[in-house]
Amino acid sequence: MIGEPYNAMLRDLFVNTEHAGNFDGTAAVGFYEEQGIRIRLAANVMSGKLQGLRFLAWGCPHVIAACEHFCRDFEGRDSADLELFEIDPIMANLAVPVEKTGRILVLEDTVRSLRQAILDQT
Amino acid sequence: MSATPEIIYLDYAATTPLDARVAERMLEVQQTAYFNPASNHPAGRRSQAIVDCAAAQLGALLGVDPATLLWTSGATESNNLAIVGAAKQRQHRGKHLITMRTEHKAVVDVFRALERQGFDVTWLTPEPDGVLPIARLQDALRDDTQLVSIMHINNETGVHQDIAELGAVCRAHGALFHVDGAQSVGKVQFDLAALPVDLMSLTGHKFYGPKGVGALYVRSGVAIEPQLFGGGQQRRLRPGTLPVDLLAGLGEAAAVARTEMLADLQQAATLKAQLWGGIKDIAGIVANGSVEHSYPGILNVTLGDVEGESLLLALEPLCVATGSACNSQSQEPSYVLRALGRTDLEAQSAIRFSFGRGTDSASIDAAIELYRSAVARLRSLAPGAAA
Repeated sequence: MIGEPYNAMLRDLFVNTEHAGNFDGTAAVGFYEEQGIRIRLAANVMSGKLQGLRFLAWGCPHVIAACEHFCRDFEGRDSADLELFEIDPIMANLAVPVEKTGRILVLEDTVRSLRQAILDQT
Repeated sequence: MSATPEIIYLDYAATTPLDARVAERMLEVQQTAYFNPASNHPAGRRSQAIVDCAAAQLGALLGVDPATLLWTSGATESNNLAIVGAAKQRQHRGKHLITMRTEHKAVVDVFRALERQGFDVTWLTPEPDGVLPIARLQDALRDDTQLVSIMHINNETGVHQDIAELGAVCRAHGALFHVDGAQSVGKVQFDLAALPVDLMSLTGHKFYGPKGVGALYVRSGVAIEPQLFGGGQQRRLRPGTLPVDLLAGLGEAAAVARTEMLADLQQAATLKAQLWGGIKDIAGIVANGSVEHSYPGILNVTLGDVEGESLLLALEPLCVATGSACNSQSQEPSYVLRALGRTDLEAQSAIRFSFGRGTDSASIDAAIELYRSAVARLRSLAPGAAA
């Protein structure tokens, strides 16, 4: 049986993508070419703080919602906190089906790349 | 009927709403003729008369003798009974069967099962527009070919095959010709008795009748093996107590279709033109399947750069189908569209709009607006190709 595939948090994050967009600041990209998944994260870092976070994403609703989830969680925090990023709570909050794990892990890779890009610039 | 405060329903190829006249007839039968039509008493005979009436109504719609109709639970069962029943009945003559890659799963999976049982199946691929060239069938026929199964109207693209020509080729060769008519019966006009068709499957809920009931046309003189056992009903070919209320509903749906089919078709053509006219200027949009050889109640479109599942969610409250596998949570790209040459991404981003009796122009306008804004939004979210 096919039940409701999306929970309320996913619907909210998918519809209200307040952090969709781009910055000219530090950016990182991630791919899952086999499934066409693409994520771009951009950060505006000032005095060690993530003043702004933006994302662009091509993927299923879980991918888009996960990106928005990440941006809401980390915007305003120290950039060093990116070290603390874990994908599991987002997957739990969005009730990501197990077959989509590979897609969502693109976000984890992209966050790591973003953190490294920020370190490289400082 | 198709627009409610909660949803805009444009998924008629999945199932149609129950026509109010059908519902009324079913309620009447449920209350006054709930008897077993096999019972040999006045009440049973009352129910049997209703079954006979339904057969006459469906026979009149199709242009066939009601005695050539077997009641089933729907098109899936009809397809199983026709294909397995004919293949097994004739296996002593040969075990070669032919069908198309773009058939519904209710046909594809039956042939796959027969392959596992030792039958040899040739899978025909249509042209990129979905139409099967007659010569391709002619080339595939062999001395031991016993059955050919080709759907009339494709459930995903609306493309219709020339069953008169295809059937004539089969008949000249001596192979039985089965047609899955789930998407065509009650929607497009044809005289089944005049066509070289030996077996045709149909289901009630695709033409404003109830779910859970269908029929299989078996041309007089064609033998099939039963697939169910346990009673003497329907000449032992498909035993089981007949659901009188469902059959009454199916019969009523057939009677309504006879009188309203042409108006329904005309309306569908108008709505399709309105819908396509409202979205065809979107950059990169492509219609899947032949425009000339398609049923007007279905429009299937593809955008290669928009993710299908996100598109479907962004379209809510519009209810349409994606190019993902039917009923699949895996979001596998449609094998039908892949067979027409679409890439995985193109197939996965396909949207099937389907509409019919009860769909109004306002619903189509709303669909156009929702589709255009959803596509624009998802495109704005996507990183550039160089990202």
